[in-house]
Amino acid sequence: MKKVACGLARVIAWFTVRATGLVFAGSALNAAAQGSVNVYNWSDYIADDTISNFQSRTGISVSYDVYDSNEVLETRMLAGRSGYDLVVPTARPFADRHVRAGLYQPLDKSLLDNYGNLDPVILQSLADIDPGNQYLLPYMWGTTGIGYNVDKVKEILGDDMPLDTWRLVFDPEIVSRLSACGVSLMDDATEVFVAARAYRGLPTDDYSSAAAQEAADVVAAARPYIRYFHSSSYISDLANGDLCVAHGYSGDVLQARDRANEADNGVNIAYAAPAEGAVVWTDVFAIPVDAPNVANAHAFLNYIMEPEVIAGVSNYVAYANANSASVSLVDDVVRNDPGIYPPAATQERFIVLQTPSDSQIRSMNRLWTRVKTGR
Amino acid sequence: MSAIKQHRRAGFPWLWTALAFGYVFLYAPILSLIVYSFNESRLVTVWAGFSTRWYGELMQNEQLLSAAWLSIKVAAVAATIAVVLGTLAAMTLVRFRRQWGARSMGIMVAAPLVMPEIILGLSLLLLFMSMADLIGWPASRGQGTIIMAHVTFCMAYVTVVVQSRLAYMDASLEEAAMDLGARPLKVFFTITLPVIAPSLVAGWLLAFTLSMDDLVVASFVSGPGATTLPMVVYSSVRLGVSPQINALATIIIAVVVVAVSVAGYLMYRQDKQRTNMQ
Repeated sequence: MKKVACGLARVIAWFTVRATGLVFAGSALNAAAQGSVNVYNWSDYIADDTISNFQSRTGISVSYDVYDSNEVLETRMLAGRSGYDLVVPTARPFADRHVRAGLYQPLDKSLLDNYGNLDPVILQSLADIDPGNQYLLPYMWGTTGIGYNVDKVKEILGDDMPLDTWRLVFDPEIVSRLSACGVSLMDDATEVFVAARAYRGLPTDDYSSAAAQEAADVVAAARPYIRYFHSSSYISDLANGDLCVAHGYSGDVLQARDRANEADNGVNIAYAAPAEGAVVWTDVFAIPVDAPNVANAHAFLNYIMEPEVIAGVSNYVAYANANSASVSLVDDVVRNDPGIYPPAATQERFIVLQTPSDSQIRSMNRLWTRVKTGR
Repeated sequence: MSAIKQHRRAGFPWLWTALAFGYVFLYAPILSLIVYSFNESRLVTVWAGFSTRWYGELMQNEQLLSAAWLSIKVAAVAATIAVVLGTLAAMTLVRFRRQWGARSMGIMVAAPLVMPEIILGLSLLLLFMSMADLIGWPASRGQGTIIMAHVTFCMAYVTVVVQSRLAYMDASLEEAAMDLGARPLKVFFTITLPVIAPSLVAGWLLAFTLSMDDLVVASFVSGPGATTLPMVVYSSVRLGVSPQINALATIIIAVVVVAVSVAGYLMYRQDKQRTNMQ
């Protein structure tokens, strides 16, 4: 027994030494960080060879972490000293808020030779939240629209009914017929209210409380036929065939489509950017103000802006990128998919979300809660 | 006597039902997780035939594997430090019970047990930030800060476990050893430690499990390059849980089952030896 105790003591001592060593070594290693770059991106938002190619070409080692929501990123950014060199928030309202809070540092465009490859239209669309495009570099963009189960919806509504319309989720006459099969809306007041105003043909840049009330009335009329409000669970429900129509992000719906195809379960999913106007969103790269490896962050951005690289990412994640030089290099399947690169007529009606003021957010949230609970 | 026996027999089917219900309640979810790790389909809910494809893909998944390795490393180191510190705290609390301060210390030690994780995580984050401001350490957050955070709450659990064992320990054993001329350190290693060893092992395992399991505190205090397994799993939930996670969980369960069986066998053998000696 004595031997056991001595052995135990020795083991404990060994572990303690190792452990303290690890703690100190770990922090020393991070502090010394040279020749590395720390990237914090959405999960599944890069091609599987992008990072390894960058590492083998430049010799800069990449530590790549992922998150699953803008809120998680925002918490890290607001806490400060996150240690990251590159982050990928959604432009509105997140990156907008962050730029105004001074969380990011200006990009050094002299280090970005490939900057000219970026789509000037998208850069222009960001100019109102980031004058002169000083802080934000667009990465991928997409739309919020409608994902649907092709066979079931056609069976219920007939073959003639156009499906690229917000009527699928807001017209009580149509939603009531679809409700048994399942209709979902996103749990996001701004997205849903803007979509509801587009459906009614009302101006979509009006965020006053009267405008929100009009939108809330539209949603309330369809409310009895909506199964749930959620911003991500529709992905698996569409793929499994448990849901017929979902209001959601283009990329997520296309994920659902691919997953159903992969499972070969006979479920046929399609995405439509509504012709009345689809909300367009952009995810952007930014360098936190306290980033430890600024030069390497620029090297990574410059690499990402190479047409071949970003086209590879688009092929992998099935999102449209913000790099006009890369479009010809994107696979035909992706490039000709109207859900990813919508036709010009739809593009003209794109709605760019504004960032509502605090009091507007309050009134929208109040109405939103009331609509969701059905009171 | 016979009345009691009859009563027992009458309760027999109920006992079995309750037992079966208990087993199903505890193990059916784990069983379904294991079964679906051998599913051919990517959809978790659709059975499409047997395959070991996800185990193959798991071996290719650098991100998931390195996160699992980091979690194991963090849990082992944190549990070990927590056992050392927790034992010291328990010794102090039991031996110096009468001192003022010891009593309030006893209450304070238990605080992390009842503190919501999110408060613990946030307060540790703030502590690390202000420490970095004041003394420049820890300069950046990562593996080291996760270990420190985990030690903080694991230590509380270890203290409680070890304390209860120490409180029931026969003090005359130590007194006898000291009467025979052993120094306090010698007494600790040759008498006290063997007696409380089972509680140290229990405390270590408990701390290891808690650390492996933790998502909230770790996501507050982690930094670049330090993504633990629960963080990876949670961030991939948005795009649906990949069966690779089922495969990884199955491997972990297999390891735990083997470890618990071996530990059970060793304990059984030791028990038998002890009864033989008597």
